[in-house]
Amino acid sequence: MAGDLRKIAHKLWRTMASIQTGVVLLILVVILAAVGTIVLQRPVTEPDEMQAAYSAPALRILDKVGLTDVFHSWWFLGLVLLVSFSIVAASIDRFPNSWRYFARPYKYPDEGFRRASHPQKSLTVTDEEAGLVAAERALHSLGYKPERVVHEDTFSIFAERSRISELAVYIVHASLLLIFFGTVVDGLWGWRGTLNLDEGQTSNIVEVRDGSTRTLPFAIRCDAAGQENYKDGTPKKWWSKLAVVKGGRDVQKKEIVVNDPLFYSGVRFYQSSYGPNGKVDKLLVTAIPSSGSGTKQELGLAVNDTVSLDANTTVRFAEFFSDFAVQDGHVYRKSNEMGNPAAHLVVTSKASGKDFDVWFPEIEGVAENSKAPYLLEATDLKMGYFTGLQVSHEPGQWGVWAGVVLMVIGLAFVFYVVHVRFWVVPVCDPKTGKHSLWIGGSANRNRDAFEERFNDFVELVGKELKTIPKTSPSEKVVVVAGD
Amino acid sequence: MARAKAEQQQPTTGMTLIVLVGLAIAFLLFMAFLNVVKSGNILNETNLLFAALIFYAGAGALYLGFGVTGTESYVKFASVSTTLGVIANTAAIAHRWYESGHPPFSSVYEMLLSFVWTLAMLTLVVEKKYGVKVIGTVTMPVAIVGVVLMQLLRTEVHPLVPALQSTWLHVHVTLAMLAYAACALSFALASMFLIQDKMKSETFLAVTSVCTLAIYASIVATRFEKWGGLSLVGWNPEQKSEIFISKGVRLFVTIPDLGWLMVLALLVVAAPLVCYGLARWKKDDSYVTLANRAVFLSILLQVMALIMFLVRARDGRYASLDADGLFPTSLAASPFILSGLVGGVFISLLYLLLLWRRPDLERLLPSSDNLDRITYKTISLAFPLLTLMIASGAYWANQTWGSYWSWDPKETWAAITWLVYAGYLHMRITRGWRGRRAAYFAILGFVVVMFTFFGVTYLLPGLHSYA
Repeated sequence: MAGDLRKIAHKLWRTMASIQTGVVLLILVVILAAVGTIVLQRPVTEPDEMQAAYSAPALRILDKVGLTDVFHSWWFLGLVLLVSFSIVAASIDRFPNSWRYFARPYKYPDEGFRRASHPQKSLTVTDEEAGLVAAERALHSLGYKPERVVHEDTFSIFAERSRISELAVYIVHASLLLIFFGTVVDGLWGWRGTLNLDEGQTSNIVEVRDGSTRTLPFAIRCDAAGQENYKDGTPKKWWSKLAVVKGGRDVQKKEIVVNDPLFYSGVRFYQSSYGPNGKVDKLLVTAIPSSGSGTKQELGLAVNDTVSLDANTTVRFAEFFSDFAVQDGHVYRKSNEMGNPAAHLVVTSKASGKDFDVWFPEIEGVAENSKAPYLLEATDLKMGYFTGLQVSHEPGQWGVWAGVVLMVIGLAFVFYVVHVRFWVVPVCDPKTGKHSLWIGGSANRNRDAFEERFNDFVELVGKELKTIPKTSPSEKVVVVAGD
Repeated sequence: MARAKAEQQQPTTGMTLIVLVGLAIAFLLFMAFLNVVKSGNILNETNLLFAALIFYAGAGALYLGFGVTGTESYVKFASVSTTLGVIANTAAIAHRWYESGHPPFSSVYEMLLSFVWTLAMLTLVVEKKYGVKVIGTVTMPVAIVGVVLMQLLRTEVHPLVPALQSTWLHVHVTLAMLAYAACALSFALASMFLIQDKMKSETFLAVTSVCTLAIYASIVATRFEKWGGLSLVGWNPEQKSEIFISKGVRLFVTIPDLGWLMVLALLVVAAPLVCYGLARWKKDDSYVTLANRAVFLSILLQVMALIMFLVRARDGRYASLDADGLFPTSLAASPFILSGLVGGVFISLLYLLLLWRRPDLERLLPSSDNLDRITYKTISLAFPLLTLMIASGAYWANQTWGSYWSWDPKETWAAITWLVYAGYLHMRITRGWRGRRAAYFAILGFVVVMFTFFGVTYLLPGLHSYA
């Protein structure tokens, strides 16, 4: 029983670690992601658009299966997890071999290796030492650091470069996992929302994406905000002067624009939008006494403000309608959008105790503009503006950026850093007593380009050989191993 | 039979065309010089760019001349012309960089400039280092179209809205263009591999026909109006932007009868494919000859459609189904349709080049093994570029909207593109895929790139579209 379980576990592992599995999983991810771009997704698409695009039963099925929010569905996330797992499994499976390659350099090529090795060449030499010295010089001139390897009673030469290249692919995959990890952390612990502030307003409550609210341990105050336009009127720049308020003090101030957020305590505030908040900032009014004598006064009234025009008369900005409608002599609020605005001011005469309803515009049947003791004229309606901020907390993004940097480094190593090895082994033919120098090389990438470089190297060795004076056999140094 | 016809069509000798092109270049340069002497500064950036354009145009003419006549010396001179163009182009970029104090990334004009430069540089590299001497036949015309589009659209482009004013955005777009240029090159090389691998010309015919069919089908499916009109986005010439009826909803105008022309073109473009299908089904090669004749007709119709589109879309005011009154439109309002129409003509002409000059091409191109390797090398360049492009895009999105990945269709398809090329590399490095299978994979990768670039904005439903 245990044996069977082990077999199954082993089979499962082999499947997960195989490249076939990885490719199949990736194809599935691609297909599902593509579907997620073709089927309209919530919550980006408005509900009425969804209903217009699909029939009711079709929409029900799509919703049920999760195709209307593919990228947050459990099966898509599960698939991505499976991909991650397959990367890990494949890496673990192959790493020991690569590590052996990396940690234990193969410095002396035995006969079997020499037979099968490609590329390789043999040069005839009169004595071993000359051959070795020539090879060393050639390697030095190419920028390598050759080392002499002791084998039995002879030396051989080994030189290599960029051994790290054997592990490059693991760097790339590790970086991918780091990126996944970062996104998972953000998915679990990150949040995003909006914060709208009127000029002068302070708030620490963020409306989170999913509808809930979040209270921050500090508050943001908007000191000023504005918009600059191009000559043709389209927006050029939105800006806000923000201050972070903590414990009653301003701990940080920054003027932000789109693309340049405020960052405090792990939370980022982005300039997202700017617009009228539907509330009146000030109504500018001029007032002249209806009798004709007296100076013109200029007033600025916010809603519910009361201003004295003289010792006897006051004016109060009673109501503001952003979109009004009249019916049966009564003024109603038609909508909360800016449509037909109306302002209702009340002029009170203390002496007579009478109130006069002044309306801008002068609505028939309701306005008593001409009867009031002062003639009022509205010169300007200044609306208030709010600045729209996007707020986000993404603790995992550092993993993502670190992963990206690591991946670029890894890719550079994978494609452009080559592990090159050269071996030079003096060989003596037992039958003829002839000495020759066996030269072999290997590269783990761009093998075709390497063949050229190998041939150049062999040529160089040949040239170096010619410059070495020949020593007579009796002067040959005999090397004993194990000293 | 088509080949015999082609032999009969050789009108001039090699030297004549070279001299003609040389004279044309000299003439244009002289005119530019005269113009410049008036304004003073000879070596300013616009003039250098104009010179670059002239040289690229000369190179393109010579490459296409090779296509028609098969004279090898054209290729040599074309290479010289390309080199001169690159020098002028480099000088233009250097000048602009020096004057403005930052690299040429901060406007659409500058980015197209970088794209054209990259294309020309890559042409020279592939020519000199890898010996693919005829790559210019593909890349130079694209470079010319790029520069011409640049000039056409330059005055029409609106200054950037706040979200698009970030350096990171421009880094991202430039990386995208470099990556796409490398992908396009790998596509060209993979196609050349298939030529050297003795893939039948009829297969190329079928694929070309399918591509042009897809282009016209997309146009007709999305823009054909009930009474035969073609709907285009309205354009406000004062504001230099599209006309919006409400938030995110564009106003479309209908150009009458242009829709019928597109449908006609669609049918004619499908004809070679139909003939090819008949040839396979009936196992009768005479249908192939018919198909090749149909290609000529298809090119004719495509050119007609392009010219009519250019003429009608540039001027005139048209009625709209969405609002009362007449509204203008512009070429800048429909860059994708324009690119599709030009691209269709271009692909069809390339097929003709193959049909007429296949033996010459096979002689001039490197061996299939080499092409296979070079394709891999190009993708080794494209893949890191794609990675950097996606990363910089994510960084920009994070700076602007607070989220580095929101599964936007554009983002998602960019990721799919990345995965497809990752697939190619895996299959090649780990599974040892070579030859035809690798070439198909490389071509698939480029198809996905095309969809990411054109299809997402143009064909996918709903959602905000930006370039």
